[in-house]
Amino acid sequence: MARFHPLTVTEVRKTIRDAVVVTLKPEDGGDFNFTQGQYLTFRQMLDGTELRRSYSICSGTDEGVLQVGVKRVDGGAFSTWANDTLAPGMVLEAMAPMGSFHTPIMPEQGLNYLGFAGGSGITPVLSILKTVLAREPASTFTLVYANRGVNTIMFREELEDLKNLHMGRLSVIHVLESDAQDIDLFTGRVDAAKCEALFAHWIDIDSVDTAFICGPEPMMLGIASALRAHGLSDAQIKFELFASAQPDRLARKVLNAAGTSAAKSTRATVTMDGAARGFTMDKEKSLLDAALENALDAPFACKAGVCSTCKCRVLEGEVEMVANHALEDYEVEQGYVLACQSYPLSDSIVIDYDQ
Amino acid sequence: MSDEMNIADYLAQGGRLTNPTNVPARYRAELMKIMATFVDSELAGAAGFADVINAGPGIKERIAAARIVLEKTDNADRVLRLMGEFGANTDRYANHHPWSDRLPRDTGPGTRRSAHDMRLSVLNYPLNGWADAVVMNLCMGLGVCVQLEELVKVSYQPLAEAIRGILPAERHHAELAEEGLVRLLAEGADLTGSLAYWHPRVAAMFGDVAADRMAQLRAWGLRDRGGADLQAEWQERFDQALIRLGVT
Repeated sequence: MARFHPLTVTEVRKTIRDAVVVTLKPEDGGDFNFTQGQYLTFRQMLDGTELRRSYSICSGTDEGVLQVGVKRVDGGAFSTWANDTLAPGMVLEAMAPMGSFHTPIMPEQGLNYLGFAGGSGITPVLSILKTVLAREPASTFTLVYANRGVNTIMFREELEDLKNLHMGRLSVIHVLESDAQDIDLFTGRVDAAKCEALFAHWIDIDSVDTAFICGPEPMMLGIASALRAHGLSDAQIKFELFASAQPDRLARKVLNAAGTSAAKSTRATVTMDGAARGFTMDKEKSLLDAALENALDAPFACKAGVCSTCKCRVLEGEVEMVANHALEDYEVEQGYVLACQSYPLSDSIVIDYDQ
Repeated sequence: MSDEMNIADYLAQGGRLTNPTNVPARYRAELMKIMATFVDSELAGAAGFADVINAGPGIKERIAAARIVLEKTDNADRVLRLMGEFGANTDRYANHHPWSDRLPRDTGPGTRRSAHDMRLSVLNYPLNGWADAVVMNLCMGLGVCVQLEELVKVSYQPLAEAIRGILPAERHHAELAEEGLVRLLAEGADLTGSLAYWHPRVAAMFGDVAADRMAQLRAWGLRDRGGADLQAEWQERFDQALIRLGVT
């Protein structure tokens, strides 16, 4: 099971005005050896709420450091905190590296990699390209890097240094949305049409063996469709979605909306180990997730409605159990539900784990 | 075009989700169900087959059976690890169910699952000796391939990639079964009883889901083809295998 381990912050470095690179040292426990392109999931209490956020590792596997890049997201609680408050000496908690945004590194192979990164989506792509360039001397990497303007390009100087270090093997194409460049091709957004233009004039798409895409949703769709149109198979295209709507932003929006419409949230009272706790929860959240986010040590194992570890009883109010593969009919009649599969319908609910 | 996009629209347009933090709650519930069904089926399948390894008539057969048990367990592990990234307790999960439990042999075919785990219904039925196990492995192996070729298109990228890695081994298991049947038939084995027993039980695993739920699963990129369609594909492959084997 995924567990959290402490990591000490050894450095917080600003890369651009609203992004930091955080260097971490694992304290005890947990295997933090990572594969290029993986991410860390952090857990942090902010304003009494437990937040979990994932950030990609941006260091290469041969650099001997563990670094993540955190870009401030408008209204993002964790990213704002990391940019404003995080300092060397502080301790963060993270799970061991996860993610499959990588392909096997083989020193003897000479492949042509094509990477697309949008904004802070550069972080895992940077880890991959550094690792590829260091470990596969015969491989090349072409990076298409989309940003709003010159001053929002993370790792710009580091990429220049890498180009010089691996002469002729790394090419970087900056596509800027708002800053005009000498060549029209490099201005605008990276969508399917832009990819077509790049493939026609700049990138030999037929020679590409593997493509990596990391960015927000529309960019992922546009690039993937262009790559498929040029014959790349699903096995050749690796995705890492940097969702524009990470949950803390969603939660905030819902919270604001809750002021005008009470129907989006529920007042929950949860009894566990003899003590009752009350909190307000989003109706789009399962009872289990809401309990965990409110620092209750709610039991669970599969989170799939299978194992019945999260069984609890609804004493008041109404919930919808979207799946049940564990409870008997008579248990359901008595008001038992699986917390991992249950979503509130009424504006207030009372849940008991002790019965 | 803006940087922001509703995740439902993104999925409806063929977008991929890539880690637990960008997966919406209800999507996750359906995804976990799909993964649990896979893991439970592999573990139950491996456990059932483990019991017949010693029934193999020769070393070669026993190696093939042991290999199937090993690889199915390994395939379960690969997907269980993805469930672990969502917070499932993988150690507890793997030992949560008596995977080798089966219903009485004379239980009629049906789509009812065991109350305690998510294995496909066909894996609730017991094997009856070596030849029966090989027949089941062919019927089921072909069915698993049809199901996995569907699952490899799933919108949760880590699962799609895990399945892509798993498919060759599962295809090979069906091939091993066919080779085994060639040998059994050459020795004059009568497979009619086993074929009649397993065919309807494997067919039942392609059960259709309600139309509105199917529409939702499709919109999320978690399902593509309907159960009837998949079953027809399986039937076609099964018929072809029987023709190759000279059994009609």
